[in-house]
Amino acid sequence: MWINMGPQHPMTHGLWNLRVRVEGEVIRDVEPEMGFLHRGIEKISENRHYNEVITLMDRCCYVAGMSWEQLFIQASEQALKVTPPARAEYLRVLSAELQRIASHLMWYAAFVQDLGLMTPFLYGMRDRDLVLDLFQSYTGARMTYEYMRVGGVRNDAPHGFTDQCRKVLDWLLARFVEYDQLCLGSTIFRKRCDDLGVLKAPEAVAYGVTGPMLRSAGVRRDLRKDRPYSVYDQVEFDVPVTDTADVTGRYLVRMEEMRQSVRICRQCLDWLDRNPGPVLADHLPRWLGAPYAPVGREAYLLKRNYPTGLGFSMVEEPHGEAGAYVVNDGGEHPYRVKFRSPVLINIWAAKRYLPGYRIADIPPIMGSVDVCVGECDR
Amino acid sequence: MADSPARTGSPPLETTETERPSLWVVRPLATAAKQFAKSLWRPSTIVYPFERLEDPKFRSAVGVESGRPIGVGEIWDNYRGVHALNIQTCISCNLCAFSCPDVCIEMVTVPGGDPKHPKKCPEIDYGKCSFCGFCSDACPEGCLTMTTRYELSVHKRADMVYSPQKMYEVFQSKLPMNPIRVARPENEDAIRLDPPLCIGCFACSRDCPTNCITMVDIPKATPKPGEKPAKRIWKEPVINDSDCVRCGTCISVCPKDCLFWGSRE
Repeated sequence: MWINMGPQHPMTHGLWNLRVRVEGEVIRDVEPEMGFLHRGIEKISENRHYNEVITLMDRCCYVAGMSWEQLFIQASEQALKVTPPARAEYLRVLSAELQRIASHLMWYAAFVQDLGLMTPFLYGMRDRDLVLDLFQSYTGARMTYEYMRVGGVRNDAPHGFTDQCRKVLDWLLARFVEYDQLCLGSTIFRKRCDDLGVLKAPEAVAYGVTGPMLRSAGVRRDLRKDRPYSVYDQVEFDVPVTDTADVTGRYLVRMEEMRQSVRICRQCLDWLDRNPGPVLADHLPRWLGAPYAPVGREAYLLKRNYPTGLGFSMVEEPHGEAGAYVVNDGGEHPYRVKFRSPVLINIWAAKRYLPGYRIADIPPIMGSVDVCVGECDR
Repeated sequence: MADSPARTGSPPLETTETERPSLWVVRPLATAAKQFAKSLWRPSTIVYPFERLEDPKFRSAVGVESGRPIGVGEIWDNYRGVHALNIQTCISCNLCAFSCPDVCIEMVTVPGGDPKHPKKCPEIDYGKCSFCGFCSDACPEGCLTMTTRYELSVHKRADMVYSPQKMYEVFQSKLPMNPIRVARPENEDAIRLDPPLCIGCFACSRDCPTNCITMVDIPKATPKPGEKPAKRIWKEPVINDSDCVRCGTCISVCPKDCLFWGSRE
């Protein structure tokens, strides 16, 4: 018998449909259905200036906007042959790591609610709010930041930001201990999550699963280490892995990732304190450097030879490895933009990690995947 | 593939079958009870319609220590909310409308200009606005800024459109203005002229919002033998780069496409 879980189902965390074939209580086959949240972001991007695409990136993944901004901006800079100053790179890494903490806290809140726990949900949301306050303090918005620009970032961190940020990081580290007491300290939680949704390393690699799901299977794969972008080769951090490949393993990996993010953030803050400087590249073409769109006609484009090029960047996003491909044909708009969504692939591997378990196991397992449909359907 | 896979994070809990099930519940509850006790005199939330984060009383009292949100002082002022427009200083350069990714800004005529050059100020449709702040970043005069006002619910859709006058009222309400300074490239492109194409039509200097374009006389070209002397005005624009706000109005009105963006020599 096929059962539709979604598109309106508390398990889905967004708009998607999981069709499940069951025999009694046991899942025999699953078939994810995507596309309910398709907004055509790749196509809209072709009609916008490079900087204007950033507004779409924040809406692409609404819990990890900074990571997606970084992804697109890196690809665009490669395509446009622009080099940002070092301070902008550190601000970007700081933003991306704060975003990882915020995204994982959001995951924590949603995941424990899938398990039926209300208290950790409130804790997770409360502490995520502190990170969002930090974002608000230097970008001006809580979720849709529009912070990064081609060639740098919008503005420098305001006075006193680094001290405030350090305080929040200290506060968060103390909270993470409490999360573990609430979840790992509870035998009920462990009995529920251990050996659930197992996706072993060979299958995970074969399906292209990335991010915490892959690392929980024991594969030490993290783009920040394996293919360092931005200034990740300048900061010290570890890549957490577990060998359990189950829901508990994913929990452990994400919790440790948040601690490592705090570590990276502190190093970035120290660097930012020591090295003042510009946050936007010196000379940019008029329609890139300015924070606003240019006025012009075809004629002025023909008069000048703007560089053409391709840009491809991959970013270790909180959910996994995201990719962006940007084709610059010398015009004001990108000629083609393509994104690789990690969540889409992590969901499609459900054919491997769901069958054999019971219907009641679906919410915890899919909760541990950290689904964000916004980037999935784009 | 896996180099030394090891458990990280907290050490694994030994789940023994002999453990009393009542402990399963009690242990996490102890943590929760601690937080509950704390929250009795230090709640993490504010009672929204009656208390507001932007209230001065929260500016000093709210912070990480109390577990409440950080919205303190100038940090809250960075918020990108409803726009405030100073109609007096607006130069009608159109940059806000050009920069809007959602095309929600329309330039409408406001009283104050002369009949030949009507003064135009932005009118924002908040039904479309995404609060990206590109318009206030683009404003060269700092007259279009974003304020901390965030309550936008209205009864009619038409009320979502904020006229310049309505945004001027927001400006007059003296809300804290966004203190963030946007980074700009030091070496911005400037307007350049392709002299052979220019016909001296005055369109650029007429429409320049900052009056930084002056038309200067140029020597008349001597016609080749057998050719009629060209009928044109022997003037061409000279642009004062320090006054130019780089709005591109001159480029868009130029009938011959002889103005373009170029780097400053």
